[in-house]
Amino acid sequence: MKPQLEIEVVDLVVGWVKKNMQTNGNGHVELTENTDLMESGLLDSIGFVELIVFMESQMACNIDLTDVDPGEFTTVQGLCRIALRNDQAGKTYASSH
Amino acid sequence: MTESTTFRGLIDGFVESVNRFPAREALVVDGERLSYLALQRLADKIASAVLQHSEDMSPLVALLAHRSKTAYASILGILSAGKGYVPLNPKFPLERTRSMLALSGCRILIVGKEAFQQLPKLLIDAGRPLTVILPDAFDEGGLSSDFPQHQFVPSKKMADGDTFSSGPKINPTGIAYLLFTSGSTGQPKGVPIPQSSVRSYLQYVCDRYDVNETDRFSQEFDLTFDLSVHDMFVCWERGACLFSVPEKSVMAPAKFIREHQLTMWFSVPSVIGVLAKMRLLSPGCFPSLRYSLFCGEPLSAAYAQRWQEAAPNSILENLYGPTEATIAISHYRWNKTRSPEECVNGIVPIGWIFDGQACSVTDANRKAVPVGVRGELCLCGSQVTTGYWNEPARTQEQFVQLPGAGESPWYRTGDMVQQDADGCLYYLGRVDHQVKIRGYRVELQEIEAVLRRACGTEQVISIAWPVENGSADGVVAFVSGANDLDHDRVLDHCSRVLPGYMVPRKLYLCDEMPLNANGKIDRARLVCILKGEEK
Repeated sequence: MKPQLEIEVVDLVVGWVKKNMQTNGNGHVELTENTDLMESGLLDSIGFVELIVFMESQMACNIDLTDVDPGEFTTVQGLCRIALRNDQAGKTYASSH
Repeated sequence: MTESTTFRGLIDGFVESVNRFPAREALVVDGERLSYLALQRLADKIASAVLQHSEDMSPLVALLAHRSKTAYASILGILSAGKGYVPLNPKFPLERTRSMLALSGCRILIVGKEAFQQLPKLLIDAGRPLTVILPDAFDEGGLSSDFPQHQFVPSKKMADGDTFSSGPKINPTGIAYLLFTSGSTGQPKGVPIPQSSVRSYLQYVCDRYDVNETDRFSQEFDLTFDLSVHDMFVCWERGACLFSVPEKSVMAPAKFIREHQLTMWFSVPSVIGVLAKMRLLSPGCFPSLRYSLFCGEPLSAAYAQRWQEAAPNSILENLYGPTEATIAISHYRWNKTRSPEECVNGIVPIGWIFDGQACSVTDANRKAVPVGVRGELCLCGSQVTTGYWNEPARTQEQFVQLPGAGESPWYRTGDMVQQDADGCLYYLGRVDHQVKIRGYRVELQEIEAVLRRACGTEQVISIAWPVENGSADGVVAFVSGANDLDHDRVLDHCSRVLPGYMVPRKLYLCDEMPLNANGKIDRARLVCILKGEEK
């Protein structure tokens, strides 16, 4: 079973992507935690950077992608797991958005 | 010896490298490593198939594939067969691909497996019978029965090729490749590049950067972008190895550069911005790079400085050149102490025209302006093509004679520049509505033509937005006079006919367009609205 914290972070990210995704012809793309945000066209590089900035501000942590394969961090789940690895504080996020 | 026997075509450097370094790695793609000999064998097989089906003597072969093993081998195969290649992009909308294929007049189409899904739709309305070569398919499946008007050549019908090391004779004026750029009338325009132009480029650049067989080149650019020609052929000219950057790493290639110890980097400057924002650009993080080249859009001083710190052992150059002048035609070498002073509006100069090529900065009457005065940059020389593909009117407009500058045609770039007393060129903007979005050349009028049809109104303005450090990342549009506008339907239509980078990110519906003192739509005011929204 997935830890509660991960579920909360996934919800946080999915909520942000739904609000900020590019609308150009992507209405048909189903957004799940395994959707590749870049390949699906939901986010471009700038959108992706904005998502990271948002996650860092919400989670009060630095997301370090230095040694991570891009294939790993472009899905919601991959990005959330990396963020949680970087997040030492272990807070809850449900109330922060 | 006559010129035709000594002329080196685009393919000849690769062939020489096969002979010199058959076992050295030529290509790393999708986790696979291919030696020069292995890559040549694949290319020869494709060249054989092309020659076997070239009854109509067409000089061009189209290629629908995306940075795959088959894509690279096909480019080499087409050139080995003495033809020019026309790259088509599986990421582009079908309608655009269909239009490019029709305009090219190609009767042979090579398709990589990454484009199999869209192939049937493309074939339905191809306009003329095609020979479709499928190196990645063992057999043609049901294609022959579904499309009896076309002929299919799957891999089982492709014989191993002869070695084309002595290949068909290359004609210097023959086309090496035909690329399509955005056209203001709503239809892409073809730019044919002769073998002799690309040979001039290769010779100059290989010497300038002292390329050798131990080099490891990046390959980020789509094959429909002429900067990919630099990646492939500068690399293979000297026996170096080409590293195709996986699609997922194109946005953030930091780990890829380190893992593969690349020595030659070439990309659009916006990659620097993304890496910096993701904090993947720490000082000294790319020690292996010995050259870092940027092209395709304005390079900001801040980005240049940042990259230079990340790649301290590399020489950083800003290259400039429209497709019509073959890849790049001017360069500026960054110097961390001197260069920040030399930037205009925080943008790195585009520098000096390559030796042997010529430039002139002209006024509206096409007369050369004095040093320091702004004007349109015009180009002439062996790297400059002679005109557009089957478009005499456009050719006449853009390729002109300049008063007192001889008989040779000069290409009017549409770029506003000024030149200092030392000959250094400074890019100041466009004289028209062409913009660069993530390095791609875009005519805003082309987007507006599509929007007008979709919205049923003439009052449409598109604006490159957001712009950061001199580079646009996308486009937005303002629409007026369209009641009950269905945003999703309009944007869906745009994404069916325009490549992703040209599809507006957002539509703004306004009651009426703001006008300036001359009664023209006030674009500056619209930009202010966008800036206000940003705050």
